[in-house]
Amino acid sequence: MVISILGSQALRRDWLETGFLALLPTTEQKPEIAKATKQHNELMARKVIWLTGAATSQAAIVQAQQLKQQLQQSGLFNRIQLEFSAQNYRESYQHLFPFRYQLLDSQTKLILTVNPKDLIAQNLEILYSPIGQMQSTDLERDPLLLFSRYFNAQNPIKLNVEQGVVILHDEQKYWALLLTDLQDNTNKLEKLEILLDLAGSAKSQAQAAGGDLMVSGMPLFTAVGAQSANQEISTVGIGSSVGIVLLMLLTFRSPRPLLLSFLAIGCGMFSALVLSVLFFGKINIITLVFGASLIGVADDYAVHFFCDSFGSEDWNPRRGLRYILPGLFIGLLTHLLSYAGLGFSPFPGLQEMAFFSAIGLLVAWLTVVMLFPVLLTSFKPEHEPKILKLTSYWQQHWPAWLLKNKRWLSVIVLVFIIGGIWQLTPRDDVRLLQSPPAELIKTADIIKQLFPSSQDNQFFLVSGNDQNDWHHNEQQLLKRLEALKQQHALKYYQGISDYWPNENDQRENYQLLKQTFYESGLLKQYMTDLGFTDAAVKAEQQQFLATENKSIALTPWLKIADETRQQLWLGCDSEHCSSIVSLTGISDLPALAELQNLPGVSLVDPVGDLSALFARYRVRASWLLVGAYALVFMGLGLKFGWRNGLTIISVPAVAALVSLAMMGWFDQLFSLFNLFALLLVLGIGIDDAVFFFMAEDKRASTSLAVTLSALTTLLAFGLLAVSSTEIVHAFGFTIATGILTALMCAPLIGFRAYKI
Amino acid sequence: MRDFLKALLLFLLSFNHSYAGDVLTQITTRLAKTPITSGNFQQEKRLKILRKPLQSTGTFTYHQSKGVIWKTLTPVASLLLVNDTRLLTAQGELAVPAAFGKVFTAMLGGNLNQLSDGFSITGADQKSSWQLELKPKDELLKKIISSIVLSGDNELRLLEIQEAGGNATRIEFDKITHPTQLTSEQEADFEHLSP
Repeated sequence: MVISILGSQALRRDWLETGFLALLPTTEQKPEIAKATKQHNELMARKVIWLTGAATSQAAIVQAQQLKQQLQQSGLFNRIQLEFSAQNYRESYQHLFPFRYQLLDSQTKLILTVNPKDLIAQNLEILYSPIGQMQSTDLERDPLLLFSRYFNAQNPIKLNVEQGVVILHDEQKYWALLLTDLQDNTNKLEKLEILLDLAGSAKSQAQAAGGDLMVSGMPLFTAVGAQSANQEISTVGIGSSVGIVLLMLLTFRSPRPLLLSFLAIGCGMFSALVLSVLFFGKINIITLVFGASLIGVADDYAVHFFCDSFGSEDWNPRRGLRYILPGLFIGLLTHLLSYAGLGFSPFPGLQEMAFFSAIGLLVAWLTVVMLFPVLLTSFKPEHEPKILKLTSYWQQHWPAWLLKNKRWLSVIVLVFIIGGIWQLTPRDDVRLLQSPPAELIKTADIIKQLFPSSQDNQFFLVSGNDQNDWHHNEQQLLKRLEALKQQHALKYYQGISDYWPNENDQRENYQLLKQTFYESGLLKQYMTDLGFTDAAVKAEQQQFLATENKSIALTPWLKIADETRQQLWLGCDSEHCSSIVSLTGISDLPALAELQNLPGVSLVDPVGDLSALFARYRVRASWLLVGAYALVFMGLGLKFGWRNGLTIISVPAVAALVSLAMMGWFDQLFSLFNLFALLLVLGIGIDDAVFFFMAEDKRASTSLAVTLSALTTLLAFGLLAVSSTEIVHAFGFTIATGILTALMCAPLIGFRAYKI
Repeated sequence: MRDFLKALLLFLLSFNHSYAGDVLTQITTRLAKTPITSGNFQQEKRLKILRKPLQSTGTFTYHQSKGVIWKTLTPVASLLLVNDTRLLTAQGELAVPAAFGKVFTAMLGGNLNQLSDGFSITGADQKSSWQLELKPKDELLKKIISSIVLSGDNELRLLEIQEAGGNATRIEFDKITHPTQLTSEQEADFEHLSP
């Protein structure tokens, strides 16, 4: 009751998280790096880039204009930019032109320092060239063309613009560029679906009109991921439900066990959902995928209960419960222990899954233990199901056969295990978390080729004690980056201090111009040679003198700067000022990483860091796994004696080894997540082994219970193996092989004892 | 009466339009069209604020698929390379401003038909010479260039650009030849434009 009231409230809010980034840990980073990464990610999570293609640039523009209208009508975006008007230039001209003597770009500054006459030569080249009119429109107000130099240096990536629209081109087509930002970065599922539909229909429209459309951006990847996760939830959910229904009906020929099973599962899942949402605020869609597979495990308790009814003639629910309770309890404990193992990983995603699963299991268990004895009153199956005959035949003959052939079997198994584990190669790349369709990746690559200004994942974080310190640090970094750029270690980089000299540098720039041009007579000579009147020379001299004490501070400068630049500035707090230096087209990451020895500079590589983290935690999880096995062994040893404990634990241990070997043989993805899957194999394997161990004269009904529960679990987790997300697939594969092996080994437990 | 005037105006406009199209086709057929055209140029830029024009001379080479080499020799040597999509100067890569590359290559290559996309064109075709006046359609380009006048015979001889701000550029072409092969120096220059 309480849970359902809480639930109705919790689920009314927006509770579903679809972004995969939310699954990843952030806690390991320094707070300022975490903040920068977060800011960077949030930006990326909103950007969608559209390119309409056609045979002529004109047609591409027309298509882009139609697309723009469609996008506007959708209401999904808060920024849709097609026209990159001269507005930008005009605005920056208006505000920055008065500071042209202070705001020199680094190239101009270098020329002035080394050989000021080169500036004249360059200007003459511009003025005499047939395209000069573009750059020399303002010769009258700015004879040295200082501002146009500064403005051009600010836009290092030259894009062709027609009618204000950026036109890119490849061999076959012209592409018009449209940039959009989604309204928020929460990536709500229904919005993402609208986005996918929109992209799909716009693409077919464009193609029908003889053109083409390419769309890319993080939201799209998330949308596709969420869509496939959604389908997987239903596949896993429906698949396992149907399987369970069939199995239960065939076995018990009565609707009561079935309904009760669903009651247990339903209670478990619903409480898990509600409590998780209450606890975490939001839960990720991937959690739900794993959650769906919980059906198989939660069902086990019920199955054990029902199957026990076949075990003895004078069965009644209370006596049954008393008999299976120790087994159920140990099973629950082992499972909870496994989930606790997941919960102590630093991955918010896994914590969520662990919490969700633990709650789900606990509630399902409590439902079985507390409600079933009451609800099952007078339940007693009259028939002996065929499957019972099958499993009791199997539990007698299979272990006997195994024991008879144990010599050569053990050699084969040993070779198989060693060979498989030998071939096991870990892959820790975090990108495998998401396995987007190849087409999406291809489009993203093409767009990156065409439109190189999209930033890489890696960036530099630069900080300093105050603004001057920060500026100094960033300048040092940018100098080294320029050298690396010349060596083709990267294509572009962007840092604010390249465009905004601090007040001190602004004074220096002014003084530099004063020495080289305005006081040396060079200006007069240059202007007179070009044909300016004496009056014009005088006017320019006066202009210069009048601005001697001018300077522009960072804040007003940022206000006019374009958005991408504003986003580079992270601001100052009481201790630090920091900024991002963005990178594009990196080809030599190690060379960039070396720059971290500069003061206040760190290279942030979210993907690389996470992959490294995955690798580190894979090692840690291996120990966790060993620890969990040891702990369970201790528990079993204390309860059943060390020898028996060893026998019982050997079932999940062999299952885990075989599972690992299978991954090796079949070249499955092996990462941190498979190890977590093996934790679950521990829980399930112990379940199977303990029940057989405690079965004594009820081996027939126990084998039915173990087989049924293994089948239901297999249906649930095994279905994860169909997932298109590689990691989920690997998880499912690991569990499926683990469960099968455990099922094969479990009947050996207590077999000889029973015979004697 | 007013309706009559309107009708007349419409008639004239439509007449004018088809006339321009005809002229353009006629002139285009007159022009020698070969894969390679090269020659000398004399350029004179008149800027309002300067008392004397900026005069320069040099050579140009047009190649139908590779683009144009514009080599200024006096008073300062400089090199400009342009094709449909790229523009290289001594200062490095520049954005090709408002279809500049297309216009430039179309003019020098004699493919005047291509210009009708971006410009409204009027002109006259006489026996000895022809003349065309181009006015940009693009709003942004209009703010920079008010008109371009081309004239010539079986070659383009003169190009005059009138800027919106009052500045003007006049380029005369002579010693025009149609070699069958590029020199190795020209090949090397075009090499810079290939991606």
